[in-house]
Amino acid sequence: MNETKAESWFYFLIGLACFLIPGGVAVFIVYDRGISFAPVFMFAGIVIWFGLFWLFPFTFGKLGKRKKKVSFDERDQLIHKKAVMAGYVALWLYFVAVCVIAWCFVGPHGSISVNVLPITLLGGLVIFTLVQGVASIIQYGRGDKDVEK
Amino acid sequence: MSKSELQNRVRRLRFEHDQMTQQQLADKVGVTRQTIIAIEAGKYAPSLPLAFKLARTFGVPIERVFQYENEY
Repeated sequence: MNETKAESWFYFLIGLACFLIPGGVAVFIVYDRGISFAPVFMFAGIVIWFGLFWLFPFTFGKLGKRKKKVSFDERDQLIHKKAVMAGYVALWLYFVAVCVIAWCFVGPHGSISVNVLPITLLGGLVIFTLVQGVASIIQYGRGDKDVEK
Repeated sequence: MSKSELQNRVRRLRFEHDQMTQQQLADKVGVTRQTIIAIEAGKYAPSLPLAFKLARTFGVPIERVFQYENEY
């Protein structure tokens, strides 16, 4: 497993653990008890996300010390590009689905809480991260089976 | 590009060159070993610069490394 593939798994698992689980709990609490935790979870999501980006310089610094070993090449770049595209498509489909579902549930003259907006944005982030990770893993999985010397 | 259209002789050329390993070839052309694996399996069509690098590493014309089957 090369470093880029490991990174894909890392982001997939982090996305799953940091966003889906607390996100699911938040939605349950919001709808079950009628209290709004949405701003708290939005803030937590942003903090975690920025925390991950702060790790990037350390990651690149670590990679920079091993200059002779190639860890990212044209194939990785192509896979990354396709994965981002898949995530982007999924993100748009998700936003369209959310808008249609909200319209179906509330009706043309209904109203929804503004707390739904940050939850929707956070959901979009989750969808994008997960789909990008899965797309990368699937593409790497195709090429790594025929391994020999 | 489909798998069957672009054939390659990378694996055979590696063995003809002192049984060069995939890692050695990858280091010479500046890619990861996974990319060499994917090229040999026909699952990835390399870019033109990489194809030329591979051919030059083996010291043969590019046509000896890659063959495009579906000719007009």
